[in-house]
Amino acid sequence: MGGKSHAAGVIALISVVGGLLAWEAASRLLVSNKLFLAAPTQIVMAVIGLARSGALAHHAAVSAGEFAAGFAISTVIGIPLGLVMASSKTAKSALQPWVYGLYATPTVALAPLFILWLGIGIWSKVLVVLSLVVFPIALNTEAGLRTTSRELVETVRSFGASASQVFFKVSLPSAAPLIFTGLRLGIGRGLIGVVVAELFGARAGLGQLISESSETFNMPNLFAGVCLLALSGIALTVGFTSLERRLFPWREEQG
Amino acid sequence: MAHPKLEVSWLRKSFPGLDVIGGISAAVQKGEFISIVGPSGCGKTTFLRIVAGLEQASGGEVRLDGRVVREPGADRGFVFQSDNLLPWRTIYDNARIGQEIAGRSGAAERQRTMDMLKLVGLEGFEHYYPRQLSGGMRQRVNLARALAVDPEVLLMDEPFSALDAQTREIMQTELLRIWERGRKTVLFVTHQIDEAVLLSDRVWVFARRPGRLQEVIDIPIPRPRDLSAKRTPDFVALVDRIWRLIEHDVRDSVLHENT
Repeated sequence: MGGKSHAAGVIALISVVGGLLAWEAASRLLVSNKLFLAAPTQIVMAVIGLARSGALAHHAAVSAGEFAAGFAISTVIGIPLGLVMASSKTAKSALQPWVYGLYATPTVALAPLFILWLGIGIWSKVLVVLSLVVFPIALNTEAGLRTTSRELVETVRSFGASASQVFFKVSLPSAAPLIFTGLRLGIGRGLIGVVVAELFGARAGLGQLISESSETFNMPNLFAGVCLLALSGIALTVGFTSLERRLFPWREEQG
Repeated sequence: MAHPKLEVSWLRKSFPGLDVIGGISAAVQKGEFISIVGPSGCGKTTFLRIVAGLEQASGGEVRLDGRVVREPGADRGFVFQSDNLLPWRTIYDNARIGQEIAGRSGAAERQRTMDMLKLVGLEGFEHYYPRQLSGGMRQRVNLARALAVDPEVLLMDEPFSALDAQTREIMQTELLRIWERGRKTVLFVTHQIDEAVLLSDRVWVFARRPGRLQEVIDIPIPRPRDLSAKRTPDFVALVDRIWRLIEHDVRDSVLHENT
């Protein structure tokens, strides 16, 4: 077991390092025009440069704020929305076409409209994030509550549990892992939302940094922005996965 | 005779076009172990669920200590056919959920939960999760959970039917041992006649269409009993007698299910 996962780690490391070396070699030896590609070393230098000037912190803070606000509002709206859909058939029939429809819609395409409504400040981006994140949270909450085992509900009922005791002791804990899956799906969608919305028009943010770098043909800065986004996406997902593992130890395979 | 612990009068249950239970009257004395056997479709599980308050009767009533039973409560402990443990709770937290629902959380209750886990042989497993336990161990938790609320009556719905034959026999002797300790009033539904005879003071034989109490068989085998009782001539004769009572119904139900 340990040896196997160790071997898997080594292979992954070789793959990443090899890929970076190939990238470095390609951009130095094959691509003569610096307008088309930046080497990893140049990207690292660009990141350091941006960090020193303070621009990086500023852009990152703006994007992070937009993401966090959009994500928080999505959670506050999405979980109760899922609850309502799970608890009333009428509500579900009325809401489901909208929620499913908007979940499948790339609402990020509405970003220009949202900017028109709310201006180029942070709130148009928060709205884009909200439009992308709220629906997977609502749908997963609903699915989690709907799949609560009837036998388990009956078991606590046999001890005389009230409706609210059934909800808090069975339905909610049973739905919690799926609710968290919804939140985790929301991370990736939310990050895309922030960046794309900023590309359409913003005063600051990583998306704005990328768009400005592209207009001035500053490839190292463009890649610096993209890589930072990728890293924050990975970090958030990994962090979230480990949080899930800690919150739901009962789901873990154990020998 | 003392006032009965549990008294059922003219209990009926029907769905549109189908009479499940057609008028059952019976009484259980305090500390009695009663098994209910009968062919499938005789309403034995429905009967138990009505006593538990999980289903409503269409007519008649159930009285526990003289009070009419209409809904579930901590005065009855129900042991389900499948263990129905909450997978996100540890064994200890599963075992104490009945007390938690009743709003009892004192030191005495915590001690009782520990005592019941110990009684069913699960001391040391308090912090495990259900998925880490075998089927037989989970069924022990199911029993400890029902005992932890210290119910007046223990209602058991084919609790060992999902277990393999060896585990089932072990659980039967365990149940005998546990019952000897507290002498709870028990209603035990099973389709295994030998299980019913081994455990019970009396066996209620149900008939089907509609479900009714056909005969009550006394089991005069001396206690404490163990598995060796199954090999005595008295035991075999009792099993045989009960089988002959339900044989016709069982054949009938098998034929009906196959056509």
